[in-house]
Amino acid sequence: MATDPAPARRDHPGRWPRPLARPRRPAHLALLVLLSAGLAVYAWVVAAAAPFSRGALIGVLIPGVVLGTIAVVRPPRRIPPPEQLDVTGMSYWVICLAAFFEWEASAWRDSSWPWHPSFTNLIDPLMEPHLIKSAAILVWLLAGWALVRR
Amino acid sequence: MPPIPTRAITIIGFAVLVGAMAVLEILARRPGSRIPKLGEWLGYLMRPKLGRFLVLAGWLWLGWHYFAR
Repeated sequence: MATDPAPARRDHPGRWPRPLARPRRPAHLALLVLLSAGLAVYAWVVAAAAPFSRGALIGVLIPGVVLGTIAVVRPPRRIPPPEQLDVTGMSYWVICLAAFFEWEASAWRDSSWPWHPSFTNLIDPLMEPHLIKSAAILVWLLAGWALVRR
Repeated sequence: MPPIPTRAITIIGFAVLVGAMAVLEILARRPGSRIPKLGEWLGYLMRPKLGRFLVLAGWLWLGWHYFAR
């Protein structure tokens, strides 16, 4: 039986990214590789900026402005959110998040580095190598795009 | 046995909590799981415009906090 391979696409003809939803063709793959390379280079450049510098601030603000503009002006086709969440299932997340923030808040309140370091105190030294920081920025950029699609 | 320094307790606490959230995400990906995936509950929070704005603002704050300062 013949079926329409992409019926949903007709529901939102003006929405994008349509090319990524289609079967991969050389042109799409090339675009994907180009975008990935561009993001990687951007992450590498931003990671090189000194902390508290204007360059570091602008490097973070540019993706924020770009994604914010996309989200408002021309949002991509969104992944449909669930109608409701299972209360029991969600409670596990809430417990973990509440415990995490309580742990972080107690470290911040005590302000007793190095005896009770905050999560940031622990993460910052791990991100000192340029490659690690670049990878973290790349993950952050991709997470932003994933959020815009939600 | 020497006492465990508070620094180690703090680090273990963070490791346990981050590990627990990773386990939750893995469990959520099993077929028929009642636990929502991270993307699912974030998507649920982002259904109203205010939730969408707050989640995206949180993402921007994370970037500023870890990469700009």
